[in-house]
Amino acid sequence: MAGLELLSDQGYRLDGRKATELRKVQARTSVFAQADGSAYLEQGNTKALAVVYGPHETRGSRSKSLHDRAVINCQFSMATFSTAERKRRPHGDRKSSEMSLHLKQTFEAAVLTELYPRSQIDIYVKILQADGGNYSACVNAATLALVDAGIPMRDYVCACTAGFVEDTPLADLCHAEESGGGTSLALALLPRSGNIALLQMDARLHQDHLDALIEAAMTACKGLSKVLDDVVRQHLEEVSVLTRD
Amino acid sequence: MTRMSATRGLCMRTMMELDQSCSVLREYGSEQSLLSKPDGSSTFVQGDTSILAGVYGPAEVKVSKEIYDRATVEVLIQPKMGLPGVRERAREQCVRETCEAALLLTLHPRSSVTVVLQVIHDDGSLLSCCLNAACMALMDAGLPMSHLFCGVTCAISKEGQIIIDPTARQEKECRALLTFAIDSAECNVLISSTTGSFSVQELQQCIAISQKASEQIFQFYRDSVKRRYSKIQ
Amino acid sequence: MRDTPLSNCERRFLLKAIEEKKRLDGRQTYDYRNIKITFGTDYGCCIVELGRTRVLCQVSCELVPPKDSRPTEGIMFFNLELSPMASPAFEPNRQSELLVMLNRQLERCLRNSKCIDTESLCVVSGEKVWQIRVDVHVLNHDGNLMDAASIAAISALSHFRRPDVAIQGRDITVFSPEERDPIPLSIYHMPICVSFAFFLQGSYLLVDPCEQEERVKDGLLVIAMNKHREICSIQSSGGIMLLKDQVLRCSKIASVKVSEITELINKALENDKKIRKEGGKFGFAESMPKERITTLKREEAPVEMADVKETANEIVNRTETPTEVVSSPVLVAMGTAQVGEGIVNSWGLDEDEEDEPQTEDTKTDDVMVISDSEEEEVVILNEEAQKSTKLSKRK
Repeated sequence: MAGLELLSDQGYRLDGRKATELRKVQARTSVFAQADGSAYLEQGNTKALAVVYGPHETRGSRSKSLHDRAVINCQFSMATFSTAERKRRPHGDRKSSEMSLHLKQTFEAAVLTELYPRSQIDIYVKILQADGGNYSACVNAATLALVDAGIPMRDYVCACTAGFVEDTPLADLCHAEESGGGTSLALALLPRSGNIALLQMDARLHQDHLDALIEAAMTACKGLSKVLDDVVRQHLEEVSVLTRD
Repeated sequence: MTRMSATRGLCMRTMMELDQSCSVLREYGSEQSLLSKPDGSSTFVQGDTSILAGVYGPAEVKVSKEIYDRATVEVLIQPKMGLPGVRERAREQCVRETCEAALLLTLHPRSSVTVVLQVIHDDGSLLSCCLNAACMALMDAGLPMSHLFCGVTCAISKEGQIIIDPTARQEKECRALLTFAIDSAECNVLISSTTGSFSVQELQQCIAISQKASEQIFQFYRDSVKRRYSKIQ
Repeated sequence: MRDTPLSNCERRFLLKAIEEKKRLDGRQTYDYRNIKITFGTDYGCCIVELGRTRVLCQVSCELVPPKDSRPTEGIMFFNLELSPMASPAFEPNRQSELLVMLNRQLERCLRNSKCIDTESLCVVSGEKVWQIRVDVHVLNHDGNLMDAASIAAISALSHFRRPDVAIQGRDITVFSPEERDPIPLSIYHMPICVSFAFFLQGSYLLVDPCEQEERVKDGLLVIAMNKHREICSIQSSGGIMLLKDQVLRCSKIASVKVSEITELINKALENDKKIRKEGGKFGFAESMPKERITTLKREEAPVEMADVKETANEIVNRTETPTEVVSSPVLVAMGTAQVGEGIVNSWGLDEDEEDEPQTEDTKTDDVMVISDSEEEEVVILNEEAQKSTKLSKRK
């Protein structure tokens, strides 16, 4: 988009943040009573809702169950009202299928599936408002939901996007920055070990800048993990206060 | 006198050339066993028309499609651009019925024979090229057949001239297009697929021409198989 | 059909060999298989063979109205199909995970990286733009479909020529290839995907996995780069844990490989251009290797048409003429006709039973008029034809 500077001379972005600043993250767990685990997460203007059912017996075809691990089943969809133009096909199209696949692979790596052979864990994520960083908001919300459901994981899975403008890496892109045609990298990280669960990048970037970009994304994820940790601990305090005499 | 005879000779030659160009089969080529995954594969090239065929069989068949005493033959034709449509389904049916007539299906009950044809380039005589490629692929897969089959296309031009193995341009300008599948044992017609209008005489002429042309194609099959097994003592 | 599963001992053998840095076909860890690129007779068609993996790509174009959100840009449409020929596990019309992943990666690699100048595809802004359609067919699956597909797609796009257009006011004339030479697409750069397969929890990696290596892999990392060392897309899949250094190392290896492959593509394109200019034969028919015993070629040969006419006439005369099956039409009401009498009415109504014996008597060749209309005159068509058939029958 011509005329829209992604990074001004003073170092401020379109919404007034600095280059490495994350958007405000607010989250709540246990929003649904009937689900085993649920979470609602807002990352700036992006709003995601995640619901977890499981571990339960494999529904549907018996052939899908694995004898030594649990099967993780993910479904990603965007609400029809989530984008500026009404989305005509909320799920079933190629982009949603790809996102569901990536979510499934991310969590298969993070969840200790060997503890639940022949079972199935369902994760449903819905984007209520899309303003950039859809995949990252989904992953963060799903992490909180899994923690809420009490499913053991290796570590928090935190995801964040990063971009690159004029030799400066930007953390946590909003929709205008993503669709502006510049680089955007989505990274899902397990913060304690520094393992990258998923890496996805679009648009051109020179190879020399890759290091800086991944570094920026990893720092942002580590920052996010602290926020998610705070949310979980706070929720735990609330619950224990209520159940204490 | 001499000049007249010379021009007459020239006219005769051009007429003969005309006749020859109409009753000439284009350059043929084929390669077998070029794909590693299918049981049998072949590519058949007629002039510029090129088809790649892959055969899987006898293999497992879905319970809904199995026949208790015979093998189930499935044919799939994939066009180069876009998704397969009704035209491809019609061609698939022609090829499938020819294969069912030629293969000894009762030797493999409750199995499936799948023939997949991919159009690599279409420059006329597409259905006959599909039939030829399918036959060579079935040979390559080693499936038992009672006889071989080949496809020949004839086009009848607006002046009434019969053209064998037409190119795409000749097909567009012709009045009628006839394709026959001919078997190798008794030179009978297995299937015929025609479009356009033609008289009964023209139909019989086309069948006779196709039978003559099929002899050459069967000789080509024999030569390629001979060449293939020439290194085995 | 189901694919034959990989047995446990094969799996163990492969993994053990990878631990010892050995591959089944004797390649090194970072080696690619033999790549062969051939172009077809018409522009925009190419077949790529990566070892035994074979992929066909065809590019075509069409004039369509543009998308509302981008009225001055052309449209690129990608479609990758796994032909059932490629592997017994591929069934037609089935949206498997592999298909979704390959399609999305191809789209991201070629569309999001903006390798084609879509603004140059605009003919009339807001009304007509070119839609470039790229169809990729996988013909044989021996591993690493993504790389082969991306090489095929970019080669076909570089080879493609679109028809020339002339705009006069609001009229658009599209010239056929004979009238005016077609124009190539304007391609900024050539993004090529390089796949890295990870084994044994990410401790070993291989470039260009073959099909059996793909079956035992833990995860895959696909990096799309162009020869200017710009990364066009990175995608990790399979749930493996990567470290940042691994990703950087892979990108360095990818840049080396991509420059080699781009060289190859350019050479193939130049060869094809040279052959076309010199008027030599080109196309898939020519690229078939002649020295193998599995191939055979035969020149043009005439077919004898000598006794064709006589044999045809003989057959025609020999067959009996079929009996006149078609009866004359029956007019039931104005503007309708009926051939034959239809099925006998079995409802058993009294009126029809009275009518039946009457119709049996009057079995003439005349057109029967069963019409209740008293107002209009019923016109019998082909009266002369009726009379002439009567005469000829009498003869």
